[in-house]
Amino acid sequence: MHRGVKLLIIKEIKDLLRDPKIIIGMILFPALIFPLLGAAMSVTTSSTIEKAYGNLTVFMIDNDGGNQVEALKRYFNSSNVDLRVLAGDPSNVSKTLDGGDVLVYVPAGFSQNITSDLKGNIVLFINFKDFSMVEFIKSGRVDALLIAFGQNLTNSKISSGMPGTDPGSILSPLAIDYESVIKGSPQPISPAFLQNTVRTQGIMGPIVITIVLILAMQIAATSMAVEKEAKTLEILLTIPVSRLSILFSKLGGSVTIALLATIANILSMTYYINVLTASITDATGGMDLAAVGLAPSIEGYAILGLTLFGSLISALAIAITLGTLAQDVRGAESLIGVIMVPIFLPTIILMLGDINALPPAVQVMLYLIPFTYPVLASQALFTGNYGMILIGLAYMAAFTFMTLYVAAKVFSTEKIMTAKLTLNLRKRKKGK
Amino acid sequence: MAPIVVIRNLIKEYSGRRAVDNITLDIQEGEIFGLIGPNGAGKTTTLRMLSTIIKPTSGYASICGKDVVNEGDMVRRLISYLPDEAGAYPNLSGNEYLKLMASFYFESNDDVKRVVEEGVRISGLGERLKEKSSTYSKGMKRRLQLARALMISPKLAILDEPTSGLDVTHAYHLRNVINGYAKSHQTTILLSSHNMLEVEHLCDRVSFINEGKVVECGSPADLKVKYSSQNLEEAFVKVAGFA
Repeated sequence: MHRGVKLLIIKEIKDLLRDPKIIIGMILFPALIFPLLGAAMSVTTSSTIEKAYGNLTVFMIDNDGGNQVEALKRYFNSSNVDLRVLAGDPSNVSKTLDGGDVLVYVPAGFSQNITSDLKGNIVLFINFKDFSMVEFIKSGRVDALLIAFGQNLTNSKISSGMPGTDPGSILSPLAIDYESVIKGSPQPISPAFLQNTVRTQGIMGPIVITIVLILAMQIAATSMAVEKEAKTLEILLTIPVSRLSILFSKLGGSVTIALLATIANILSMTYYINVLTASITDATGGMDLAAVGLAPSIEGYAILGLTLFGSLISALAIAITLGTLAQDVRGAESLIGVIMVPIFLPTIILMLGDINALPPAVQVMLYLIPFTYPVLASQALFTGNYGMILIGLAYMAAFTFMTLYVAAKVFSTEKIMTAKLTLNLRKRKKGK
Repeated sequence: MAPIVVIRNLIKEYSGRRAVDNITLDIQEGEIFGLIGPNGAGKTTTLRMLSTIIKPTSGYASICGKDVVNEGDMVRRLISYLPDEAGAYPNLSGNEYLKLMASFYFESNDDVKRVVEEGVRISGLGERLKEKSSTYSKGMKRRLQLARALMISPKLAILDEPTSGLDVTHAYHLRNVINGYAKSHQTTILLSSHNMLEVEHLCDRVSFINEGKVVECGSPADLKVKYSSQNLEEAFVKVAGFA
């Protein structure tokens, strides 16, 4: 590497890493926020589950006294429910219960109706005090027990009316097994689970990429504007280093800091995703994604890396150009704000839907935005569908070259000193 | 002996307005040469063209025979430039800043060390150089910048308003450094100022510049005699016709 570029890159990194705004805002904050979120989520989830799935107490007012309500009481007791039978008006009694406690009110006629093949009425009083997850889970558990009790009643009636038949087959005559064909190989996974997994990954990848691009652009744009604001640019332009070297050192410094910020973000998000995935895996019975062909391949990571690198360089070249043309740091930040739109757009659109399902005009627009490709590549990690991404790599290379060329042109002119590009329309209008 | 700075018919236009209008000048090696004029006269634009920051619209300028437009890389090795408002990187200490700047001109660690020691001596900032430059006062920043500009022993030091806005103590220190350094190192110094008394004290020769044009040139003593003036300020006013 050219000595001047090396010295300038070291200077850039040293200067940026000593800036509390960079260290706290771009590295420490993202490094800590996701583990904290994950830990908070983990602690909250486990304590909620512990509380909600602990011993269940059910209160009951029995105004029926028949054989079916006795069967219901036995069913509750056999299901490890702490059943407490009370007396009084259910509306008044329910008010005295704790949050999430359930009162089962069985009115008179319940047993008679069931015996007569009519619906047996039950009223559930659920006392919601703070609408917490625990309260909803507890009421859901009682609900599930009552549905299961009803199912038992149905089974018993079918068995006695149609001896020798399987009530389950009568009630649900179709047995559906799912075989999701993933990358040509059938896997025993339900589409619902697949959708859940792919959607989770499809959201996280674009978010990380967007964060990286935005961080890098902010660093690059402001690093040029800071030179103007701190009055160091004129000196920089008179040291024995070419302007292209200055441009490349700015790119190098910004990429280095952006990479550090990216590592902090990715490590942080990986922890968060692991916490999230662990809860999904637990909920679905511990399915191994790699075993069913959903684990990303090395080629997938390489293509993601290439698209991300291309996006990063072109984003930085645009940012440095705008930072160079801006009058000061605030001006650079406002100009960069405009560039955020094409970065956010693919992320938001592709997080919500499949590019192939979009109208052709929107598809073309997205394919013309170079920042679309890393988002597509992050989603292709799981689908393995790289068709348009490989074509996009050539397009990105051309776009990156063009942005670097424009940046080099701007650097070689005295616009680097004289330009005062601003978004202050009000001022411009006034000037007119 | 050939002049170290040669300027011929130098013109700089911004959107059709002439900031520098057909300037022709020669500066000899070892001279302290002053460009004097009011704000907006074209002093800074001239210095920026010589420093290769901006390009002339037309005309020619060279330093040690090197064309400032076509041989910018070589010119930058011969000069150092102190802008009117110069800052240092706020998160670097004064020492780190001097070392960084020295490293652009010298490769061996011994040379860099020697040059930085010279910078430390010129600045006179002592232990404060270990602190980040963001903690420095305006005067200290200016001393650091002057040290940066002179420590590398440039063939030509271009100093734009070197003492502008400084208090008496810092301004006095800087003037002494400039004067002493030029004499001891045979460094040519081209400075701009609108402080006529300072220029009179420092410079061997001066040029009066007004509305982009050089309106007079000579030694302070000759100019005072020529315009029967007590000082350069009075002479300038007579030449520029402001009185």
